[in-house]
Amino acid sequence: MNYFEVFGFPEILNIDLNSLERKFHELSRQYHPDYFTTGSVEEKQKALRMTALLNDAYRTLRHPVRRVEYLLDVEGFKPDGSKVPKSFLMEMFEINEQVEELKSGSASPEQVAAVRSEIESRAALFDSQLAASSSEWDRLVTAGASRAELNSQLSKLTEILSSSSYIRNLERDLEGTA
Amino acid sequence: MSKIVGIDLGTTNSLVAIVEDGVPRVLPGRDGNKLVPSIIHFEEGGEILIGNSAKARLIDNPRNTIFSIKRFMGKGLDDVREDLPMLPFEVSSESEHIIRLKIFGRDYTPPELSALILRELKQNAEAALGEPVINAVITVPAYFNDAQRQATKDAGRIAGLDVLRIVNEPTAASLAYGLNEHQRGTIAVYDFGGGTFDISILKLSDGIFEVLSTSGDTHLGGDDIDEEMIRLVLREIGGKPDAASIPSIRKAVNKAKEDLSTSESVEIVIDSLKIHRTITRSEFNALIDPIVERTLKPCRQALADAGLKPNAIDEVVMVGGSTRIPLVRERVQLLFGRVPHTELNPDEVVALGAAVQADILGGGKRDMLLLDVTPLSLGIETMGGVLSKIIPRNSTIPASATEMFTTFVEGQTSVKIHVLQGERELVSDCRSLAQFDLKGIPPMPAGLPRIEVKFLIDADGILNVSAQEQRTNKFQSIEVKPTYGLTDEQVEGMILDSFEYAESDIEARQVIEARNEAETVLNATDKGLRDENLKNLSDQERAEILASVAHLQAVMNSDSHTTIREAIERLDAATHHLAELRMNSAIEKALKDKHVREIQ
Repeated sequence: MNYFEVFGFPEILNIDLNSLERKFHELSRQYHPDYFTTGSVEEKQKALRMTALLNDAYRTLRHPVRRVEYLLDVEGFKPDGSKVPKSFLMEMFEINEQVEELKSGSASPEQVAAVRSEIESRAALFDSQLAASSSEWDRLVTAGASRAELNSQLSKLTEILSSSSYIRNLERDLEGTA
Repeated sequence: MSKIVGIDLGTTNSLVAIVEDGVPRVLPGRDGNKLVPSIIHFEEGGEILIGNSAKARLIDNPRNTIFSIKRFMGKGLDDVREDLPMLPFEVSSESEHIIRLKIFGRDYTPPELSALILRELKQNAEAALGEPVINAVITVPAYFNDAQRQATKDAGRIAGLDVLRIVNEPTAASLAYGLNEHQRGTIAVYDFGGGTFDISILKLSDGIFEVLSTSGDTHLGGDDIDEEMIRLVLREIGGKPDAASIPSIRKAVNKAKEDLSTSESVEIVIDSLKIHRTITRSEFNALIDPIVERTLKPCRQALADAGLKPNAIDEVVMVGGSTRIPLVRERVQLLFGRVPHTELNPDEVVALGAAVQADILGGGKRDMLLLDVTPLSLGIETMGGVLSKIIPRNSTIPASATEMFTTFVEGQTSVKIHVLQGERELVSDCRSLAQFDLKGIPPMPAGLPRIEVKFLIDADGILNVSAQEQRTNKFQSIEVKPTYGLTDEQVEGMILDSFEYAESDIEARQVIEARNEAETVLNATDKGLRDENLKNLSDQERAEILASVAHLQAVMNSDSHTTIREAIERLDAATHHLAELRMNSAIEKALKDKHVREIQ
């Protein structure tokens, strides 16, 4: 059972977090080990297994990026660094050097603010690209699009995620310096 | 199912509680007190005192009086090296991965010592309820790691308890607080106890208590405040710390600390050191400020992890004895911008919550459900000593992760996996949890086996690992070497040991032995009284023998071995002269016989 199936959801990416939580609570009440303490060994094992699966699914699906990563994994698409354009990598390399400079502590507050806003604006760009591509995926699924169309959209999502991982790493690096 | 009790196994005090007719209550001990000080005193004769009676021996016999053992749970020698100079205990040389305290030549691990406290609580509950108690829920600090949780579970098993669940203390407290009203909203539980600090942020909705994040410090509590005050006293009396005087200083500063919660100024009085030292609350506040400050960092971390600003917290709940300190309340109020709840007794609220959780497990309360999280990220060691996280901290438990492993050498039949807990990048900065050996992999070319390893953190927050080779579908045997813990076999051995050493057993055995000896002595005296040497005794001596015999016969069926022994000693003393005379005549007779034979 994949995570979407656990919640009885179609494989779409725009998930209403309130209904996800409601369903999570409902299923927790159904499966949680606390309710099977007096049960047989099999019942206890099942409760543990099902609840772990439910919790893993909830942890993954409620997170907008992990959700996409999971969908790609279920569909057999692996993150692929070779799909990232060279020019983009060069830009990332430059920003990375600036972050390293900040880490050494010699940068002025203005420089820090500049690098931070550069990273933030790029992260925002990816977020909007991801949101748009996710919605496009949902539209294709709902419309019953062909396998080829779906795969092409999955490739697109893979590319966005692969690139955005660089930005996310830079964000994390920068947090470490703050 | 028989009754399930909730146990708060605290650093300073421990309690047992139960829900009856939907209402949780703390069960009083056999001495009438609800709080059992987590103190164990060993008498030279093998008797073990727990709780208030043990606490009374802290000063006159510190070496054999163990306190705050919870701080040693799941720890190795390196973890506690800094604390040891302030503690009067003798640490065994074999303590590298599990601290062992040497008491009268025998080594005790923290789970064994904690088991003695748990057994006391078990017996208290049995006395209060009038029936055997086997099932229990035991609480632990939310920030306890795997080894500390496992050590607590081991302690329960050694004490003869079936530990149905390990529950986090702040979460348990929230259950006790959430009992009366059907609350909704976000609450922060600030739990500052004797030895540990926890902060948990929970979301309450329709009976579901969902922990969003937790953080803390398992080595930060009232004990640290006491130690800060001890250092103050030691500085002022000059010279180096004298191990023998520390227990009296500890007792005096502890009292001063407690009194400062209600008074503006108190006197630290240590008669033996001729110390009468006034300390004001503002001086105290300045002294403990760094300690209180250390609790705020985890609070901010927990808020950040939950994705919340301080003002998003609807209610703040205070738990643990150290939250009685006015400065602590002030700081918490300042951080969250609201007056914290202090309505429930901070010493009892965790035990009450544990009882509520016990009631849920027993099927009593189905409308409430606790969804807790794992406090630390779980990871495995990868190339270059880097931690690869597989279950992030604050994941709702039970939680699992699956990883694929393969071989590097042709025909390789086993793979080692090193599992750790922690947030840092490097393995050397994280807490080693265990080494797993995957064995019996079918010999194949390198890289071909696909071994799927499933890591599962159960509802107790304890890791379980299983493995399966994908090509052969064969389950792999896993050999687990806990880094800081006891193996199953060791725990089994301790259960037997604890029966052998069980206090009541010792008592019973001593009584039986004393009675047997009384009988032997009485028989011997009976013979003596028919001996011809009796006439060589004075009237007074004969009278004393008869009186002693009558006394021993009168007390030999009592349940006190000391009373019987005293009577035996009295009779021994009374028959001393007679025995001497009989011995002499026996020797004479023997010599005479020998003579006769030699002559013949």
